[in-house]
Amino acid sequence: MSNIFDMEPTMPNLTYEERSLYGMLVANLAVYIPYILQSARTNSLGRIAGTLFLLIVVQIVLQIIIAVATRNRLQDERDQLIRLRGYRAGYIAFASCIVIGLGILWLHTLLGPLPTQRMAIHFLSVMFGMLIVADVTRIITQLIAYRRAV
Amino acid sequence: MPGIRNCIRDLRATHGMTQQDLADRIGVTRQTVIAIEADKYSPSLEVAFRIATVFAVPLEQVFQYQPPPETRKR
Repeated sequence: MSNIFDMEPTMPNLTYEERSLYGMLVANLAVYIPYILQSARTNSLGRIAGTLFLLIVVQIVLQIIIAVATRNRLQDERDQLIRLRGYRAGYIAFASCIVIGLGILWLHTLLGPLPTQRMAIHFLSVMFGMLIVADVTRIITQLIAYRRAV
Repeated sequence: MPGIRNCIRDLRATHGMTQQDLADRIGVTRQTVIAIEADKYSPSLEVAFRIATVFAVPLEQVFQYQPPPETRKR
């Protein structure tokens, strides 16, 4: 009686939600890491806007591929619970980053007055970074919850 | 989830049902059934009743609650 039940894997396959999260993580890292490596040398409003646009496009393409490749796209109450946990962790990361980011901007102003455009670029790139950090925190929190079978 | 235990695995074995079969019947993913069986996730009342309905047994035969020691003293 127990033969087929013993053979059932305790480590589940990836659900649609998990695949989607991995897709988001890959998109975030694949787009943001090259941006951050290059922005130390050259940064502009156009580069920030372009990176943001590229991130949106990559996310959409990856999500479409994942949705097409996954037959069972069922989501249940546990997915919702894990999503809530993820968003809570992401919000905490975002709120913490806001404080740190504003502190960094304040420190920069102490060094002397910055040109308005440079200040705007600096502010936008810090905001962009905070959004990415918060989103990655949310995704990783959710993935950990799925792996722990919570 | 501490305090709540279940015997879904045994009931499945009795009914010759796989995790996927049960998941399909109660409208959740197989991963959720795995988490419930491992006592790592307590389902909502609605899902708990659906599980009991699938096995045609009372809810308390599927899920058992053991209060923590300090609660039991009261």
